[in-house]
Parts: sequence; C-alpha cells; structure tokens
Amino acid sequence: MRQFAQSDPHVFDLYVRGSVPKVLEGSLIVAASRRNKDKSVFSRWHDSQADLFRIDLSAGKPGRIRAHLLTTDPSGKDIGVSNPHGYLTQPNHGINVQGNSVWVTNLLFGAPLEIDLKQWKPRRVLRYVETDADRPQLSGTSHFAWSLDNRYAYFHQSLLEKESDSNDVRAAQLRLIEMDTKTLGERVWEIVPPPDDPALETANFHSAFYFEEAGRGYVGLLRTGARLETLAPHNDSREHMVRPMPASTIWIVEIDRAASTLKASTLPDVEQLGGLALSHLDVDSSGGNGFVLFANYKQADVAEETHGKNIYGENPEEIREQYSGMTVEALNYGMVIRYERRDGRTSLRTFSRPYDPGNTSQGHSWLPINIEIDSSGQHLFCTFSGFRPRLLPRHVAKAYPGLTVKPSAIRYVPPLLLRFNASTLEVDHDRKRGHLSYAEPIAMTVVGNKAESYVCTFSPEIGLRVYPADDLSSMVCHAVAPEFMNWGETHFRPDPAHMQFTER
Amino acid sequence: MVARRPSVEGIELINIARQARRTVSQLQASNWNFEKFPEVFAKNPAADVLAKEIVHVHDGQTMTRIGRLYMGGVGTTFNLMGPIPSDSQFKVAPPTALEEVNRQTGSRGLRDIKEFRALGKAQPVEFFNYSLFYGMEDLVFWALVHDAGVFPSGLEHMARHFAAGNLIQNSLYSPSTPSRSKKAPAVMFSVGLNLTFPSKVVEWMDKPLYGGLVKETIHVESLLTPKPSRVSHPYLPLANEGKVKLDGTSYYLKRFIGITPKEGLRGPGVPEEGKPV
Repeated sequence: MRQFAQSDPHVFDLYVRGSVPKVLEGSLIVAASRRNKDKSVFSRWHDSQADLFRIDLSAGKPGRIRAHLLTTDPSGKDIGVSNPHGYLTQPNHGINVQGNSVWVTNLLFGAPLEIDLKQWKPRRVLRYVETDADRPQLSGTSHFAWSLDNRYAYFHQSLLEKESDSNDVRAAQLRLIEMDTKTLGERVWEIVPPPDDPALETANFHSAFYFEEAGRGYVGLLRTGARLETLAPHNDSREHMVRPMPASTIWIVEIDRAASTLKASTLPDVEQLGGLALSHLDVDSSGGNGFVLFANYKQADVAEETHGKNIYGENPEEIREQYSGMTVEALNYGMVIRYERRDGRTSLRTFSRPYDPGNTSQGHSWLPINIEIDSSGQHLFCTFSGFRPRLLPRHVAKAYPGLTVKPSAIRYVPPLLLRFNASTLEVDHDRKRGHLSYAEPIAMTVVGNKAESYVCTFSPEIGLRVYPADDLSSMVCHAVAPEFMNWGETHFRPDPAHMQFTER
Repeated sequence: MVARRPSVEGIELINIARQARRTVSQLQASNWNFEKFPEVFAKNPAADVLAKEIVHVHDGQTMTRIGRLYMGGVGTTFNLMGPIPSDSQFKVAPPTALEEVNRQTGSRGLRDIKEFRALGKAQPVEFFNYSLFYGMEDLVFWALVHDAGVFPSGLEHMARHFAAGNLIQNSLYSPSTPSRSKKAPAVMFSVGLNLTFPSKVVEWMDKPLYGGLVKETIHVESLLTPKPSRVSHPYLPLANEGKVKLDGTSYYLKRFIGITPKEGLRGPGVPEEGKPV
C-alpha cells in the first residue's frame, strides 16, 4: 500500500463554531488510522497505517484550531532502523506525552514511536528486545505509567513468539523499562510472571500505573489477556475456532534498582471479578501512600476481529456496517472498577450496567474505552463505545457461551460519555442531564484546572467537541475539517480511541 | 416516522396540546427517562430514507446542499427530521441543479444504480407544515401532538445537535397511494430540498437513523467546488471527476456513489425500543 500521498494536506485549519477557552491553549494529540473504503479488503486495526494529528488550539471567539498531520513510516527506515521480520512500529492507538516528547503506541504490536512535539517529526523507536524469525514481532504497553513527579515513564515490552501446532502465540523475554524523560536514559529489567498467573500466551499489558508505598516504588501492569491464535493476519475472512481469553489480572512489580530481575505478584481480588480485557486506567497515586485505581473491563475478545457471519447468522455481504478486520464488538456490557489501596487498607467498587432505553439517564457500561479523573479529583469521566449487535461475529460469541448477550434480547446501544463521582464510582446525576452525553465520539480527554475544566471529544467525521466538565448538555466549541476524514480517495479514517492534551 | 395524527380539529387540539405539554414537563423532570411515559415511544415505525441524490456546492464561504430524497413508508403521513446549522436558510424548491449536473456528466443519477431501479416507481410527494425545533422539549412536544413518537437512542442523536446549537428541521409528507404492508412500502420522492449555511469547510451530512424499514441508504452525492478539491466523502467511493457549469459558474466536480448502512441498526426480528425483547 502506498503510505504517502504528496497531495494530502499536512497542515489545515478547522472551521470553529463557538469559542476556544483559554485553558485549552495547547495541543491535542490524536493517533488515527486508515481503513479501505472497499469492504472486501480484510485488514486488522493493529496493522492499519498510522496517521498522527497534532491539533493546536488558540483561545478566542472563535479562536483558531489548526491540525498538523504526521504520516508515520512503519518500517522505521525514515529514522534509520528496521525490523526484517515485520513492521517495526505502527503507532495508531495510545498517546503518552511529557515535555516536548510524544510516544505513540499500537494496540498490541510493534514498538513505541518517539516524536518531537514541536517539530512534529519522528525521533526514534523504543525497542529493547530483538526480533528473529521465530519471534518476528514485539508487544508493549500502550499507555505508560508515570512516576509521581512525571519524570520517569514505565512500560513493558516483550517478543511475540509465532504459534506452533501445540501453542498459541506467546510472549517471550518480558521486560520492564524505566525511561528518564529528562535525560532519555533507560533501565531495563526482566519480569518474572507471578506464580498464580504464569501463562505467557496471555501475558500482554495494555496499560500501566505507578505508585509508592512506604518509600518503595511499584508498577502495576494491567494483564489484559488477549490470546492470539496466529501472529499474522488471516489470509481470508473465514470463521475459525476461538480460544477464550482468561479473566484479566493486575501484575504488581516492585522497582528494585539493585536487581536485574523483578518478580511480579498479582493484585488481590481482581481476577475474582472475572472480567475480560482489563485495558484502560487512570490512577491517583498522590501522597506516596498507595493508590486509587480506576480501570475498565471491555468484556470483548480484543484479540479477534470482525469477520464472518454475525450472531444472527447473517453473511458479511448482508452487513453493510461491517468492515472486515475491525476490532471486535463486546460480548456483553463491561465494567469500571475503583480499587483503592491506601495505608494498608483496600476497597473495591464496581460500575456495570446494561442499556435501558426507558432509563437512559442511568448510562450504561457497554465497551468502556477512555477513563480520566479531572483536575479536582472529584469527577471521573468515561467513554463507552456502545454496541452494534450485527457486528458481533458468531464464531467469537461461540467461544463465550455463558458470557455473550442473547442476540434476540439486545438492540443498538449508543456510545456514551458519562461523568461519575470519583469517590463513590456512582453516576454523578444531574437533573438537567449535564452528567452524560450519548452519540459521542469515544476519543476523549479532560482539560483544565480546579477552577475551570472542559471535556473534549473527537472523531474525524464529527470533529472536535468541547463541553464544560460540569455540563455535558451544551458545547462551548465545535470544530470540523473534512481533511481528517480521508486519506486520498481510497481510505477513510475510522474513529480513533484516544486523545491527549498538552499545554503550550 | 409515521405521524399518526397529522392534524387535529381546533377544539380537540387544545386538550392534546395541554396533555403533551404536561407530559413534556414530566419527562423533563424525570431526566428524559421514558419508562413511566410509554406513550412517547414511537409505535411500530416503518419509514426510512431509501436513497438520496445531492449536489453539495462549496465556494469557500458557504455550503449549499441541493437534493432530492426517496423515502419508503407504511402509513398515510410521515415526518422527516434532520439537523441544520442555526444560521441556515432552508427552502423547498425544485432541484434543477441535479438534472443539470446529470445532463452535463451524461448520468442518470440514482437511476444508474441497479439497487435503486429495483425500488420501483416512486410517487411524488410535497413537504408541508415545515417546523423548526430548538430543543428536546419542542421535538418531543411535536411528536406527542402528532402521535409520531420518538426513540430514546434516536433522540440522543438529536440532543447532540441541540447541544451544538443546531436546529432540527421537520416536514410532513403524504403519499397519494399509501401502503399498509412492510413488504410493499410506498416509495416516494420529494420535490427537492435546498439548504444553505456559512462554512469555510466542506461539511457532509449525518448518516440517517434506522426507521424500522430499510437498513441501507443509496447515495449519489456530487461535490462542486470552484477550485480542485482534495476533499473526499467519508465512506462513499469516488465514482468520477470532471467539470460542470451551474448558473454560469464553472465548478470542479467529484461524484461519490454507493450504499451506506443506517445508524442504530438492530438484529433481524428484534423489536424497536419500547417493546419488550
């Protein structure tokens, strides 16, 4: 596939309605991807060409919003590196920002790409394990952990070993990396899996968090548990046997600078929840005496893609909304957790709710994606992707007979942005419905300070929406640009999952 | 949607409107939860946009949409709702630009598509009783007075437009030969719609929401710009490019043709919101 089109615009202005608040002076970073308009083309989300946008906001009425596009080179050749066994980087998912550096990651595959924020140019690829013919790809944490002073980033990286007749794809050479964002110095440890969660077939970690207790530093790794039958994408879109994912866990690794190997343990009570695909988080680990972790379970087999017949037995050709290879739909409604561990005491709260068309103000928890605490620490904002029942493949649902929603008892569930009370994990009900917004893009971030806070959502098609954090029923700004939507004539850009803000 | 009560006699209206206002107030007080107000749910809906042929003209400052819609429906009177920017001018006028573009490009427009030809002969319908909704209260009030009903998930899509400061435009239409069967819905086409609003960028229309009848929409959409454009349609493939002249002005043309899914689809045999599953 041609990656670069000279005619594609790399800098363009958005048309702004409303105003850009002062606290939004800065940049929003979005990792987008491409999808062929031709529905017969099978393509995994992981492998889709990454297009990165830096969206610069200048305050005013209407203010100015200008986007800068960076089309990445997955081979790494543009920065002088390579992986002879596959692509080196395909950063179309997670965004990690500190100072003038941005590290963008894939859902599962490849190494993070480091980008110079101001110049909006790639700088280097963060690779700490060497691929070979049997282990041609690597995996890493999409969303990094940050030390309390935000100086050090922590993430995992490991090789992915090809499947064999007797084994699924599995991780090898598990590493934990500490990166000093000031000096760009690094430290690498080997991770030994916990004795009660040793399976390397499902040892993948979508997000990480950092906390301290009694002067010691720890990294928590959300063991998502994606299980890949094959490392390469399918040759065609036939149905196949799916081996179910195990319940997710959280690995805890104590940072020991004197050691070269760190032994992981599991966080109590998490596996017992039985949730699938624990993926995204936000954490309050201030004070250095433990943490309050907010995280979400997708209840989706995140290693599979949409293809084949759906749960109603309809053929793919009959399902116009299907793009073969998109990430799979949820099997059922998911869950958000609040896990507090402070001063030796722990508590666990959960939010899990189906969609009730008669009680929409209650919200729902279908396919949670973003999760973010506001600056005050009082509110938690979450986006939920909802559910498109005709996109759930039959062969995936079959692997989870007790978990999958009954096809005849479920309708379309609209996407949702929902505000919670961060202390109780209860929906922060507002009689004027300012606590939620349906039909919302899932890429979301909270920007501001204790006095003034805004929630931004974005998709290429809908554009950028800005709401006061205390009232999601009226926008202060809506900005659009058609240049976001397409790459050339052949591809469109599907809704990205995440967005990050950085002050100017 | 089907408007089951397109009009009412004056004295009767007083009571209907009074009751509708009361229900809207109660709905608002209960945070727009429909559970205690089953009368608000649309009942057995069967009306959808089947196809649209639109010319989008963007001159760098203004967006103009000239279009003709083909609708399908079971019932006697329907309403068509759509979001528009609040500074729009909306008109119902013959879409002569469609014929002109088709003539200059040697196209028959929608009739070039076999799925469209399979719909059969369409009845012309006129839009009447146009209205604008400025908020959820207006929309639900109108739906209650005219017994059209709404769906919570569909209403949320409209709520986002209100949150953005947009309006919802609403028009009624009736076929001269109505249908009573979902197997053979009445196929209708509008005289033509014309919408103009200020915008420095090309803005496309939202995908139609599922109205219980047809899961897909057939499109022929043409983008006309005074200079060559790099803009593409978010889903539809490019069919052809060229140059056309409209009202004495030369434009670059990009034509996008295809079939897209409706928003809010459900599985076969699954009833609409408001009915038990």
